[in-house]
Amino acid sequence: MIELGSLALQLALLTAVYGIVVAIVGSIRQRADMVRSGRHAAYAVHGLVVLAAIALWRALLTHDFSLEYVASYASSTLALPYTIAAFWGGQAGSLLFWVLILMTMSSIAHLQNRERNAALMPYVTATLLVIAAFFLALLVFITDPFARLPVPASEGADLNPLLQNYWMMIHPPSLYLGFVGCAIPFAFAVAALASGRLSDVWIRTTRRWTLFAWFFLTVGNVLGGRWAYEELGWGGYWAWDPVENAAIMPWFTCTAFLHSVMIQEKKNMLKMWNMVLVLLTFTLTIFGTFLTRSGIVSSVHSFTQSGLGPFFVGFLIMVIVTCAALIAWRRPLLRSENDIDSFLSREGAFLFNNLLLVGLAFATFWGTIFPVLSEAVRGIKITVGPPFFNKVNAPLGLALLFMTGVGPVIAWRRASARNLRRSFLWPLTLGFATGVVIFALGYRHYYAVVCFSLATFVLATIVMEFYRGTRARQSLMHESPAMALANLVGKNRRRYGGYVVHIGIVMIAVGMAASSAFRIEVQETIERGQAFEAGPYTLTYAGLKNTDSPHVASMLAEVQVTRNGQPVTTLYPEKRFYKRQQQPTTEVALRSTLRDDLYVVLGNYDAESGLVTLLVFVSPLVAWLWIGALVMALGTVIVMSPTAAEQRALAAALAVEERGLEGAARVVR
Amino acid sequence: MDRNRRFIIGASIIVVAVAYLVYTGIRETSVYYFTIDEFLAERAAMAEEDVRVAGRVGADSIDWNAKTLDLHFELAEFDGGESVPVAYNGILPDMFAEGRDVIVEGNFTAGTLEAHTLLTSCPSKYEAEIPES
Repeated sequence: MIELGSLALQLALLTAVYGIVVAIVGSIRQRADMVRSGRHAAYAVHGLVVLAAIALWRALLTHDFSLEYVASYASSTLALPYTIAAFWGGQAGSLLFWVLILMTMSSIAHLQNRERNAALMPYVTATLLVIAAFFLALLVFITDPFARLPVPASEGADLNPLLQNYWMMIHPPSLYLGFVGCAIPFAFAVAALASGRLSDVWIRTTRRWTLFAWFFLTVGNVLGGRWAYEELGWGGYWAWDPVENAAIMPWFTCTAFLHSVMIQEKKNMLKMWNMVLVLLTFTLTIFGTFLTRSGIVSSVHSFTQSGLGPFFVGFLIMVIVTCAALIAWRRPLLRSENDIDSFLSREGAFLFNNLLLVGLAFATFWGTIFPVLSEAVRGIKITVGPPFFNKVNAPLGLALLFMTGVGPVIAWRRASARNLRRSFLWPLTLGFATGVVIFALGYRHYYAVVCFSLATFVLATIVMEFYRGTRARQSLMHESPAMALANLVGKNRRRYGGYVVHIGIVMIAVGMAASSAFRIEVQETIERGQAFEAGPYTLTYAGLKNTDSPHVASMLAEVQVTRNGQPVTTLYPEKRFYKRQQQPTTEVALRSTLRDDLYVVLGNYDAESGLVTLLVFVSPLVAWLWIGALVMALGTVIVMSPTAAEQRALAAALAVEERGLEGAARVVR
Repeated sequence: MDRNRRFIIGASIIVVAVAYLVYTGIRETSVYYFTIDEFLAERAAMAEEDVRVAGRVGADSIDWNAKTLDLHFELAEFDGGESVPVAYNGILPDMFAEGRDVIVEGNFTAGTLEAHTLLTSCPSKYEAEIPES
C-alpha cells in the first residue's frame, strides 16, 4: 500500500505535466480531442492523489511506524480523531492534503463547466495542473510522505500536544479549503487573460467559488483565533504571528475582490484592478503556505526548517511574472469602459474600501517580512511585533468599518444631497450619540469609543435598509411584516445576505474593541483556601486533583467563582503532561457569557510550599467574536444560495460571449 | 481627465496614510532581533536597548522562586559557550527547561536582560524526536 501511494504520486506528477501540455496545445490548435484529453488528465491526477491520500491515512490508522511520517506524528495511544488529523499535522502530509483539496475542486469545476466556457476551460485545466504539478513535485522529490525509516520505530512520537484540540480538527482543513479555493477564480482569471475572453463571464462563473473560498478563509481564521484562545493560555486570540498573518492577508485581498467585482458586473469598470486582486490573493495563499514551511520568519507555530523555501520562491516568481506578462499583453482589453463620476458615489466608496483592504494586506505583509528585509538591506535583523500591527491596522480597520456603513447605501454614480440625508442623517446622529454617551460614562479608550460609534452607525444603516425594504413590500404586495421580510431577503439574496455578513462584521469589531481595550488581567500566587478578586468575580482556590491515563496525566486546580457573593461556577484549570512528548501543556478553564469571559490559567504549582499561581483574564464581549463569525457564515450562505435570476444572468452573459465570438477574436488579433 | 486626477489624489491620500502608518509604526515599535552569538558580539552597543534574543537555557543556571515568580537564568550560546544573565518575573512557560531554545524579549539593562516576554518556541515545534526502537 505504501509503495502504491508513492507510485501514485509519481504517476500523478507525470499525468499533470502531460495534461498541461495537451490542454494548451489543444487550445491553440483548436483540437477538441486534445482539450478533452487534458480534462481527463485532470480527473486522473485527482484519482491518483486520492489513492495516495488513502495510502497515507491507512498507514496512520494501522500505526505503521516504519513510515517516518507516521512515527513522527502519531502514536498507538493517540485518539482516533487526532490520528485522522495527523494527516495534516506535518509537512509532507499537509502538502498532500493541499493537492487533494485542489484536485477535488478541480474535478468539480471541470464537471460544472463541461458544456460551457469552452474557450476558457483548456487554460483552466492547464493552470490548475501547473499548481498541482508544483506541489506533486515537492512531494515526489523533496518531502516524501511515504519515506521509510532506516529501522522501523516501535512507537510513534505522537502529535504535538498543542494540536490535540478539537479546533485543530477543523481549523486547518477550513483554512486549506479557503486557500485552495482561491485557486479556482485564479485559474479562470488566467484563462480569461490567455484566451482574451475578458468580459465578466469568468467572474460570474467563479462567483460562487470565490464566496466559497472566502467563507472558509473567514471560518478558518476565526477557528484559528478560537484555538489560540483556548489552547495558548495568554487570554488573547490574535497575536499577529507570521502564520496568522499568512492566513489573514489573502482574506483582506479576497474581501476586496468580492467587492470590486460588483463594480465590474454593474459598471464594467476596474477590470484590470480585479485581475490584480485575484492574482494577489492567489499569490498570498501560496506565500502563506510557503511562510509556514520555510523558516524564514520565526513563528510560534511553524513547521520545521526545510529545503522547500527556494522552490516556493521560484514558483511564486514564476506565477507573478507569468501573470504580469499576461496582464501587460491584454492591457488594451482591460480598459475600463466607464469613469467614476464622483467621490460621493457607490463606485467611490467601493474603491476606497478596496484601497483600505489592500492597505491592510500591505501593512501586514510589510510587518511580517520586515525582519527578512532589514537583514538583507542593513545586515541586522529588526523585528516588529503586535504593537506595530495594532498601531497600523487599527485605524485602517476603523476606516473600513466606516465604509461598511457607507458603501451599501450610497447612490451609484453621484449621491445627491437628498440621498445622503435620507441614508445617513439618522445613522450618523445615532453613531455620534453613542460615542458621546460612552465618553460621558467615563470610558477614555479612544479607539474603542470610535469603534462603538461606528458600529452603531453601520448597524443603523443596515436596520434602516431592512426596515424600508420591508415596509415597501408590505404596502406594495400587501404582505405581513414577517412575510415581507422573508421575501425581501429571499428575493435579493446578494444584497441582504451581504448586510447579514456586515452585521457579523460589526459584532466582531465590537468584540475585538471591547476585549482588547477593557480586558482585566490578574495574577495571584496563593495557598489553598485563599481568595482574590478579578474584575467582578471572586475566585477561591479550593485544592488540587490528579488524573492519569496511559496517554496523558493531568493536575487540576479547583477554583470556586462567585460574583456579588453569589456562587457562579467552579472552574478546573489544568496542567497536562503528554507522556510521549514529555511535555507539559496548559489547559485553560473558561466560563463564557454574552457579557464577559472568565478565563483561568493554572500557571505554576509548587509542591514544596503548596502555592499555586493563577492567571485570570476577564474579557468583556469576547463571545460576540464567535457569534459574529457565525452570523457572517450565515450571511455568506444566503449570498451563495443560487437564485434563478442569477442563473439567467450567467446564461445571458455566456450567450453574448458565444455570439460575440468572432468580433472578440478580431479585437484580439 | 479632471475626474481621474481627483481620484488619483483621493487614492494617493490613502496610500500616503498607509505608508505613513507603516513608517512610524516600524520606527516606534521595532526591536533588534539577534541570535545569542550576534547579541554577545554587539553587546556593548545594546545598553538600554529593547532587544529580542534567541538562545538556549544554560545548563544548571535556572534559579526559580515559586512564591515571587522571580526567574533568573543564563541565556547561553547554542554550543554552551558564553552566556548573558536573564531576569524575568511571571509564570514559567510550559516548555521552559534547561537546554531548551528560548526567545527572550526585553531591555538590556546593566548587563542583564530584563525580560518582559519569554517564548519557548523553537523552529522544530511541530517535529518531535522519534524514539529509538
